[in-house]
Amino acid sequence: MLKIENLHARIGSREILAGIDLEIPSGEVHAIMGPNGSGKSTLAQVLAGREDYEVTAGRIFLDGEDLLAMAPEQRARAGLFLGFQYPIEIPGVNNAYLLKAALNAQRQARNEQSIDAFEFMKLIKNKMELMQIPKDFLNRSVNQGFSGGEKKRNEVLQMLLLEPRLAVLDETDSGLDVDALKVVAAGVNSLRSPKRSMLLVTHYERLLELIVPDRVHVLAAGRIRRSGGPELARELDARGYDWVQAEAARP
Amino acid sequence: MTVTTLKQALAAPRAALPGSAASQDVRAAALAELGATGLPTPRREDWRYTDLKSLVDVELDFAPDRPDRAALDAAARALAEHGVPADAARLVFVDGHLAPELGTLGPTSGIEVRDLDDYWLQPETARRLRVSTAAHPLAALNTAYAQSGAWLRVAEGARIAGELRLVLVASGAPRRVAQPKIVVEIDRGAEITIVQHVVDAADTDGWLNVVTEVALAEDSRLSLYRLQEHRFRHAHTSLLAVELAARATASLGLFDLGGRLVRNDIDVKLREPGAALELYGLLLAGEGQHVDDHTRIDHIAPDTRSNEAFRGVIGRRGRGVFNGKVVVHRGAHGIDARQTSDNLLLSDQGEIDTKPELEIYSDDVKCSHGSTVGELDAEHLFYIRSRGVDEAHAREILTTAFATTVLERIAAPHVRASVADKVGARLRTLAEVSR
Repeated sequence: MLKIENLHARIGSREILAGIDLEIPSGEVHAIMGPNGSGKSTLAQVLAGREDYEVTAGRIFLDGEDLLAMAPEQRARAGLFLGFQYPIEIPGVNNAYLLKAALNAQRQARNEQSIDAFEFMKLIKNKMELMQIPKDFLNRSVNQGFSGGEKKRNEVLQMLLLEPRLAVLDETDSGLDVDALKVVAAGVNSLRSPKRSMLLVTHYERLLELIVPDRVHVLAAGRIRRSGGPELARELDARGYDWVQAEAARP
Repeated sequence: MTVTTLKQALAAPRAALPGSAASQDVRAAALAELGATGLPTPRREDWRYTDLKSLVDVELDFAPDRPDRAALDAAARALAEHGVPADAARLVFVDGHLAPELGTLGPTSGIEVRDLDDYWLQPETARRLRVSTAAHPLAALNTAYAQSGAWLRVAEGARIAGELRLVLVASGAPRRVAQPKIVVEIDRGAEITIVQHVVDAADTDGWLNVVTEVALAEDSRLSLYRLQEHRFRHAHTSLLAVELAARATASLGLFDLGGRLVRNDIDVKLREPGAALELYGLLLAGEGQHVDDHTRIDHIAPDTRSNEAFRGVIGRRGRGVFNGKVVVHRGAHGIDARQTSDNLLLSDQGEIDTKPELEIYSDDVKCSHGSTVGELDAEHLFYIRSRGVDEAHAREILTTAFATTVLERIAAPHVRASVADKVGARLRTLAEVSR
């Protein structure tokens, strides 16, 4: 479903991604782990189409379509979802309004009918319960006054509503206590399906005990240094990242 | 119809002035004062950014006729189109003339309506409010040429239910200069909500020069909303002068959506202790529009408060000006004065000049001011687009959100909903054409 070939990207004159190759088949959950500054978040942002990063080489295909040729909204309509590491606050933009606008934009792109306020409420109600998000949330401004945990739960709620083909979750576990982590994991697991793929970007292994990945990749200095099964995450947890960085530093 | 240039109008003989015989002395005196002061030009500091020259040398009709049947019908249609409720307590001014055919206030309204002549004929000392001609030359022009006006009095302790609508309509006849004057006196402990609504029946090149004076007695309360919806060939100059006695409170919300050349002066005096003002507004300017809001708040008495918040949204080739002056007078201690001016430039071909001016001649004051000018936040845009919403819609969502925080200050829910609809529609156009 997702195919990344020799991806290079930089911000200013600094190269951050130095040749990523990655393939995620339909139905699989992959995790990208790595030390701070290894390029994990850059990869997530480049996938979503952030313009601050310049892609200098390589190609990305989502279901065979050239992702790099698409605007961010086209990528979303093609089925890509990015859960932000730092979801931003948008004063004055109501959560319900944004969610409905997003859902209807994607439905229109698929030649489906827009949904009205009543259907929207029916659709969102159970998902809000699953994510333990209070009812008054819909009438509040996007992420404004939310705690760190609430912001992350809101990202997962958006994902549940939009039902993407490929979900990229950028450190959705960071800053969460154990209970909140369980809620987030339950939300993510509820969406696992043979038709859907996921890429979890994380620094810690504890998320991967709750959302068990099919493959784990270790990123250091802008390149995937090692790939393996879930046991690789446990190995990293036990040994730390120093050895990966040392390997990456060798010519 | 007799047309003259503004310069000729200033030099007009007494006999050329409109209105009743009783008002001639007041009118002639105002014209003489204006002759001495001169029209405002960009050489004056407070008119630096706004030039009236497009009104000076053209021929205009300074004494438009009373509206005929056709003009009244056009005005009635414009009111309906702009959602002015027919059953509301309303007074309608067509080309500056009070038109009782379109609305009167009955004895049950709790509001006494008197002719402006009665107001002029009072001894000068009885008038609570006297506008300085030197500070506001266009107010003197209004006095000299006012077609008619209204003197409204709200009795002691009266609580007026619903809103009083004061509607200023241009009938659509070209070149007309409408100059209504509205005086509102709110007696002790009385409360009223006023919506001043400005609309044009046709897209013509008229000029509205309106003066609204409000005097609030002790413990009285006013909410006033002004919704300016001119079309884009009309010029608009206005003075809103408000004075507050002890413990009186005024909340003024000003929304400028249309107009070619717009200059609003808002002049508030907090005369006695305990008086409080909330002043907020939205300034929207797109191509071919110049919108200038000049506010001045005088804290004359101790223990008075003011809270001012304006937001501007400037589209491609739009021009905005905001000047917020706050003066704390000698001996006025215990003052709390806050002011913000936040502005959104939708295009690098738009321009806004924003300037706070604080003059403080007293100790023990809490004054704050801040002004910002910025573009749409790139991170906000990316976040919304990453959810599948296209760029144009994302820009529109964020532009509307910028204005929403001002709209939320409107206390009356149905007024808020109606203003939000109109502002939303205007912002959609601005956001669309400014990409």
